[in-house]
Amino acid sequence: MAMGVVRNALRVVCYPPVPLPARRPLSTLALALIPRAVALNLALGAVVGALKLPVYLDSVGTILVAVLAGPWAGIVTGIVSNSVLGLLVSPALFAFIPVAIVIGWLAGVAGTLGAFRSLAGSIAAGLVIGVAAALASAVIVIALMGGLTASGTGLLTIAIRATFGVSVDSAAKIAAVVTDALDKPLSCVLVYLVLERLPRRLGARFRRAAA
Amino acid sequence: MTSALDRWNPLTPLAAAIALVLVAFAGPQPWTPAAVLALSLAIALASGIGGKVTVLTLLVVVPTFALLVLLDAAFPEPAAETRWIPSRAGTLDALAISLRLGAAIAALGVIVVGVAPRRLTRALAARGLPAWAAYLVIASLEAVPDARRRAEDVLDAQRCRGVAVGKGTGVRGRLRALPALAGPLIVGLVIESEERALALDARAFDARGKRTALAPIADPIGEIWARRVIWLALAAAIAWRFWEFAHSLVIAQVSRS
Repeated sequence: MAMGVVRNALRVVCYPPVPLPARRPLSTLALALIPRAVALNLALGAVVGALKLPVYLDSVGTILVAVLAGPWAGIVTGIVSNSVLGLLVSPALFAFIPVAIVIGWLAGVAGTLGAFRSLAGSIAAGLVIGVAAALASAVIVIALMGGLTASGTGLLTIAIRATFGVSVDSAAKIAAVVTDALDKPLSCVLVYLVLERLPRRLGARFRRAAA
Repeated sequence: MTSALDRWNPLTPLAAAIALVLVAFAGPQPWTPAAVLALSLAIALASGIGGKVTVLTLLVVVPTFALLVLLDAAFPEPAAETRWIPSRAGTLDALAISLRLGAAIAALGVIVVGVAPRRLTRALAARGLPAWAAYLVIASLEAVPDARRRAEDVLDAQRCRGVAVGKGTGVRGRLRALPALAGPLIVGLVIESEERALALDARAFDARGKRTALAPIADPIGEIWARRVIWLALAAAIAWRFWEFAHSLVIAQVSRS
């Protein structure tokens, strides 16, 4: 309720304090983008399937949010993305939430350092993210699944073991690095190309919101 | 999807599923995961979702077991005599890993198939999950079908404009087509998020204070106690395993000295 106060012959109207917004770690813009990024992680599978490319591109949304809204938003996107995948596709994907966290955090850090301002920087960021994600996923695959997943990567692990005679654990790590070293740089290049096409006004809004 | 689990507060089956997964990994192998797998499938059958949970479990367990046995048969340990015949130890190892994985998939599969994600998120929000986190899960689940449909639309549109897709284009050609196919989809979703942010702000998404649920989910006292018992039993089981582990270490040290 408004109250009237007279000060220096001027009537000043005082209103009760307006409740502050609820404290949360993400801007509204980031909150609105994350569900679309999660959906993008799943929807790009249709594009990859149509093109019959030997990659997943299931982290493009996570990398995009991390670059636009910062590492924390990237981490949240990774967690939500793998949780939703676990609910919609297979509960086995819950186990890979730490990998999504690594991708979101590293992409956010790379974005903060300006790696996505050039094509070369994006490829370099993709390689670093790819190796880190591969090592994280290899640890999970070795600990939970004996080094093999029921996918193309599992067959690649067997092929590497057959060709180089290394242990299953080493073959699992090499297979993961080979897969992710192709997938993540391509994802980062795609994000770089999208950022180039994005209206500057929108990019600036994200940067302001993340600051 | 409706199941018999809808009669329960979603947090109770969730607590049971988490406890079963942890017990499957912490308990003596391979009998505990085998028991957890059987129990989870029995619960799924009793809830009317047995078929879906079994398929979900088999889709992961069978290929994993087959690949592990194949790996063991193709590359036997140096002491083993015959190639392409799986060893007993290797097969038992593969069985243990597959059972553990199957137990986890079946226990979580009961939640994934039998509990509506929206209901689960609402129950979590009632127990203190922040509104923004609940929004992220529900909005993501709702955005997925729309994004998939949009991806198909973009694919069709770009094909009509002459973008070569599929066989006969070579990996290089298909890689070149990727930005043309993925670009409009991604840019469209980012631009749309700005409108959604304005809508969220306009609807006072930031407002502080306790929210009232439109359709509150019942949490009877019996279920609250059931969850407490589950957590206590889980803590006791993990403590018992730790004690056993520490005990075996002490025995090993004594026998060495």
